Amino acid sequence: MTSRVLTNLLQVATVLLLSPLVRGILDRLEERVQSKRGPSVWQPYRDLWKLFHKDEVVSEHSSWIFRVAPYVIFVTPIFVALLIPVLTAYPLAFAFMGDMLGGGFVLALGGFFATLAAVDTGNPYGPMGASRTRMVGFLAEPVFMIVFFTVSFVAGSTIPYIVQQRWVRPLPTFFEPAHVLLMMAFIMLILAEAGRIPVDNPSGHFELAMIDESKGLEYSGRAAALVKWGGAMKFFVLLVIFLNVLVTPWGLATTQAPAQVLLAVPLVLLKILAFLLLLVVIESSLAKLRLFRITEFLGAAFVTATVAMITRVF
Amino acid sequence: MILVAIPLFPLAASGLSAVLPGRRAAAATTFVGALASLLASGGVALRVARGAPVVAVPGWLACDGLSALVLALIALVGTASALFSWGYIDERVGGGHGGRERLYYVNFNLFLFSLLAVPLLLELALVWIAVELTTLLSVFLVSFDNTREALEAAWKYVVLTLMGAAIALLGFLLLYWGLRGTGGGAYTWAGLAAAAPRVSPALLGTAFLLVLVGFGAKTGLVPLHTWLPDAHSQAPAPVCALLSGVETTAVLYTILRLVPVVAASASFRIGAWLVAFGLLSVGVAAFLLIQTTDCKRLFAYSTVEHMGIILAAVGLGGPLVAYGAAYQITSHALTKAFCFFASGAALLSTGTREIDAIRGLIRTSPPAGAALLLGGLAIAGAPPSAVFLSEFSILRAGIAGGQFLAVGLLALFIVVAFVAIMFHVNRMVFGLPGPAAPRAGLPAACVIALVAVAVPVVLLGLYTPSVLHALLQRAAAAVER
Amino acid sequence: MVSSLNDLAGGVFLLTAFGLIVPWQAAQSLRLFVVQSMCLAASALLLASGLGAPDLIAVGALTLATKSLLIPWLLRRTVSREIYTRRELSPVVNVPSSLLVALALVVLSYFVAGPLVAAVPRTFARVNLPIGLAGLLLGAYPLLVRREAIPQVIGILAMENGAFYAGVAIAPDLPLIAELAAAFDVLVIALVLGLLTRTIHERVGTTDVASLATLREIRVSGAILRKESGAREGAAR
Repeated sequence: MTSRVLTNLLQVATVLLLSPLVRGILDRLEERVQSKRGPSVWQPYRDLWKLFHKDEVVSEHSSWIFRVAPYVIFVTPIFVALLIPVLTAYPLAFAFMGDMLGGGFVLALGGFFATLAAVDTGNPYGPMGASRTRMVGFLAEPVFMIVFFTVSFVAGSTIPYIVQQRWVRPLPTFFEPAHVLLMMAFIMLILAEAGRIPVDNPSGHFELAMIDESKGLEYSGRAAALVKWGGAMKFFVLLVIFLNVLVTPWGLATTQAPAQVLLAVPLVLLKILAFLLLLVVIESSLAKLRLFRITEFLGAAFVTATVAMITRVF
Repeated sequence: MILVAIPLFPLAASGLSAVLPGRRAAAATTFVGALASLLASGGVALRVARGAPVVAVPGWLACDGLSALVLALIALVGTASALFSWGYIDERVGGGHGGRERLYYVNFNLFLFSLLAVPLLLELALVWIAVELTTLLSVFLVSFDNTREALEAAWKYVVLTLMGAAIALLGFLLLYWGLRGTGGGAYTWAGLAAAAPRVSPALLGTAFLLVLVGFGAKTGLVPLHTWLPDAHSQAPAPVCALLSGVETTAVLYTILRLVPVVAASASFRIGAWLVAFGLLSVGVAAFLLIQTTDCKRLFAYSTVEHMGIILAAVGLGGPLVAYGAAYQITSHALTKAFCFFASGAALLSTGTREIDAIRGLIRTSPPAGAALLLGGLAIAGAPPSAVFLSEFSILRAGIAGGQFLAVGLLALFIVVAFVAIMFHVNRMVFGLPGPAAPRAGLPAACVIALVAVAVPVVLLGLYTPSVLHALLQRAAAAVER
Repeated sequence: MVSSLNDLAGGVFLLTAFGLIVPWQAAQSLRLFVVQSMCLAASALLLASGLGAPDLIAVGALTLATKSLLIPWLLRRTVSREIYTRRELSPVVNVPSSLLVALALVVLSYFVAGPLVAAVPRTFARVNLPIGLAGLLLGAYPLLVRREAIPQVIGILAMENGAFYAGVAIAPDLPLIAELAAAFDVLVIALVLGLLTRTIHERVGTTDVASLATLREIRVSGAILRKESGAREGAAR
């Protein structure tokens, strides 16, 4: 029992502590590809440390939503981390509290509060970014739905642990056209949801062109740190769902032995690192799309996911 | 071994016309090559008509009634076209050192070679490739004038027909799959027909529809016919005669070959599909004929109409209708070649293809005017032309078979097409010529070719030689279901 | 294992077929076509061992040689380089609608192929037939909506790829002479279309083949245009 609780705690701790590192590695890799030196991979930790020690300024026109939102953004990825296989291939205590759809909703809750908070302050860039995020969001929504339904249709369940066991593990089904196409669609989704390059430019500093970043412009001090950290964790959780459930369910702990569970941490990090390399290649070879061409990008993701479904249903 | 030689004559002529010196050498070689293959295929047709199938390489090269008929028609129209080219091409691009002329004859011979290969081959995969080659080797004949319009026509022609061929390819592969599923056998027309009853009807039906749509594009059947009037109007007249008269027929031949194969399956209603496709083509073509403004496009739409008639006739079923269809194939090929020769003659004497610009042709150029009038009457099906006889026999046999709706529609469309063609031809042949209308004679080779084709066009309406009758009966037996 | 890898090739094949309907630069379409041909060759080679059909080794090698090496080379040789960097600025149909049409085509091909595959149980055809049919139909789409010549040529070649992709599974033991002739045929297609494109480029000054639309049955404009060409022909005599 205690070992289960410990494993669960370790799972949450992994998400909590490693997510800034992933962000840092990605930033550094991207700068290196552009022949710059880039910041240290520990830079996000330093940023968080700095922000936690600064004073917070809150607009007097804002309401309670503005103050609550950072906590919601911070907590929701942690909840999701309890539902998905981060380190173990076997279901943990909370695994059956919610399925992939539930996880999606919990993540969407954070996004919802971020949007409300952005509108709340009266800063002109906040609502603009919020409405753009919503646009990307509602275009990505149907794709998420189809991906989840295809997966559940094949595996007979929407619980991520079961999906991973039934469909992705066996080699013959791994190479199925449906699976390959779903992976493609999900990569496109990650790019859209995490605000990566063909959809949004995370390193841009021009407010008019921002999609995701402009929502957090009004935050400062501790609240800003929570929003940043929450964003990093959301990205981490998405990567974990993608890698551990849909693509490479290998390297996870199969028994309760603490050594094996601990060993899974570097292995998962290794997988994420490999995927980050792919992400850097994608991001460096594409240009950011104009706002109205995002429909085309997500339309392509939608079609890919639907074709994946068709190849399975017939 | 004579079967092997038939397509090799034009192939050899192609090589020779590229290298032989002298201004007339290319034209003469082409004519001689075509004539040689005509004599050879005439001999083959005679032997087949007497009841002795000609087999060169069992399972690969052979000739039965239907293929002998198509083969002889291709060789005949090819020879006439070679003769007509002699005068026509010289008139159009002659002079200089004849480089373009030479190019024309090389392409012409290659095209004839690919056409002759279609009915001779038995292996379906090779038939498909032969059909594909007929497209590829005729592209530069269609674009020969190198005008904007000719290039546009060539592009549409090659893109749409290659697209169709790719669709048909999948159909052929599905047929092969079906054949293998029954335990194998030769992948030939006969082998397929033997295995057909054991192949699943869904497979046969899908494969047939893919071939029908795919090769239908090349035959000029309606949903994918749009390239046909363009290509058949922009190419030089003798090439049009080949394209319209026998290329469409040769491709239709491959569709017809599949009819008895697919008819073997009980649940797929092939007759209804053929009649529907055929009537659609006839109907659309008949109404497009009314509003055409170009004299060669007029005859091109008439090709669409006739392909539809043949397909519908085969779909109606029964031995008498099948005989009518075989007769229609013959009469259409000859008459359409004649029509395009006539329009080529009109183009040579007036310099335009525009119907509105041609008036009183019978006065300005009596041979061209007379030819155009005769061609119009013959292709529209005025009695006593060969087309009239074949259309009449199809309609009569259809009514005797009790299919009143289909036959009624067919008759209606034929009448509409008749009125449309005669309306346009009348305006071109009679009426007052414009004051500036040039008066020009025709090259002797063109006149000879016109007369040579006019003889069977008129004669076949009055009298069917017993040899032809026997051949048609054997051909009809091959498409009967 | 063979079956899994063939599945993978099928998935990538389908993806490239989708990629071809997006209006990329011609060079990008050509690259996608090369990837698609490699999937076809891979499937042929895999099925050679999976079905025990040695002919397919030749088919795979031929496909690799002609479609992924010779044809791109031929097309680049015959048509000037500048055309390959051109991008269609005003696609006839916008991308999301194209994608939806493509989706409908894939549904259709699975719908058509379903009963056929059910009739003859054979594992490889279950993947190859519907995907090949989809490749065939998706290849036809650029022919109808793309304006430039080169994407249309690639569309035709992709259609053939689709048919052959189904073919390697359902007709693995076609006579070798037919396979050789087919490979030759594809080369001739590329050559003829490349030369025709070049002639159009030289004579008309554009490779926007959709703008070549003077031949039609519209009396007013058609009559004028055709009079012009008639006059030109008269002058040529």
